[in-house]
Amino acid sequence: MYNVDFSVVLQAKELLLQGLMITLKVSLMSSILAFVLGVFVTYLRDLPNNFYKIITNIYVEVARNVPLLIQLYLIYKVYPHFGLTFSPINCGIIALSLYTGAYISEVLRSGMNSIVMQQKQAAYALGLNYFQTFFMITFPQAIRIVIPALGSQFINLIKNSSLVSFIAVVDVFYVIYKGAADDFRIYEFFLVGALIYMILSGFVALITNILEKKLKVYGREVRV
Amino acid sequence: MHDIILNSEMLFKGLRITIILGLLSGITSMILGCILGLARYSKILPLKIISAIFIETTRSIPLVLYIVFIYLTCSPILASINIFRDDIFGSLEFQSAYIALSLFTSAYIAEIVRSGLKSVEANHIQAAKALGLNVFQRLQYIILPCAISRMMPALVSQFISLLKDTSLASIIGLIEFTRSGELIYERTFRETEILILIALVYFVICYGMSLISQRLEKRPFALIRLGF
Repeated sequence: MYNVDFSVVLQAKELLLQGLMITLKVSLMSSILAFVLGVFVTYLRDLPNNFYKIITNIYVEVARNVPLLIQLYLIYKVYPHFGLTFSPINCGIIALSLYTGAYISEVLRSGMNSIVMQQKQAAYALGLNYFQTFFMITFPQAIRIVIPALGSQFINLIKNSSLVSFIAVVDVFYVIYKGAADDFRIYEFFLVGALIYMILSGFVALITNILEKKLKVYGREVRV
Repeated sequence: MHDIILNSEMLFKGLRITIILGLLSGITSMILGCILGLARYSKILPLKIISAIFIETTRSIPLVLYIVFIYLTCSPILASINIFRDDIFGSLEFQSAYIALSLFTSAYIAEIVRSGLKSVEANHIQAAKALGLNVFQRLQYIILPCAISRMMPALVSQFISLLKDTSLASIIGLIEFTRSGELIYERTFRETEILILIALVYFVICYGMSLISQRLEKRPFALIRLGF
């Protein structure tokens, strides 16, 4: 019979907290970077310039069709050969932001596609340039529509941040895995780990719901 | 390049395991996901609650955690059962990766199935009821043909991410494509070539799948002719 004993987890409390800090740091930094990158890529895709379109399409397709683990290894193990050396944590942040940035740009693009053409034409007719049209007219409307999808991308990012443990960053998952493997307290450690990730993603889901309600414009609901 | 050619046999073995793992867990998760999605869509309360708890917990846990948990907890049981003597299917790593990936993906597929079923207009269902079709007939003739064509893009992207996620099984020591590449460059120190080759192969497979799905989206009736 298996005796449930949480004292082992309590002993590893400090390590867990340190790991949680690392996880939070990695996910926060990379969600900001990924969002900025996603918006930038969406802007480039929106410009009437074929060169930018090709470049951004290549980036998005490559980032979406290569496993995150391979991208992480590429940045961690291959970039140093070309003179780009980062600390493991920064590698994780860069890989996660590049990976999630592509997904976010796809989400934003689907939002941009739902904005009618006339909005853009009216903005150009009023004398706004591309930059102004994007950031003052189309983008604010597009982002409202895609807030739930964006939230799920950020939740995915938090879950994917557990992959940084593959390049020896001591995050929550690493602490839990090591604890479970060393002490054979598998159920306790994994229960705590699952709870931590569930709380984190639940928090993001809560923020998404609040934002969705706050930013809703009546009469502008999306027709499904 | 020389090292890749010398070790190509190992890479092919790894690729074979990756593809077998992806295919098997794709099929299993499709079946499980349909059952779970229907359970959550149904009006029977216990079924609804159980499937909702499973789906929501699974969706908020990272896959690596899932794989390692299944490996650590199920391998004693799997070892005692030990049905397969084959060197691929018989390994505990393969079996636990297969279980973990199938369960994990089935939760996502269940959500896709549910949203596809919910997207069918209520009028259609009411009309079917008025014509006297029972539950299964409604599903077969009215709801599923409509829902499947709407679910297709999301399903294909889920299968693509399943194939990408098989690379995570390397954490429990399953020698699939990523791990076999790792083993080679740990010996030969040729990370650059091997990692770029691996990335290329994954890219070709996943992008090919997404291209096929784009073509199928343009011609939805091709699916029906294929037997869906």
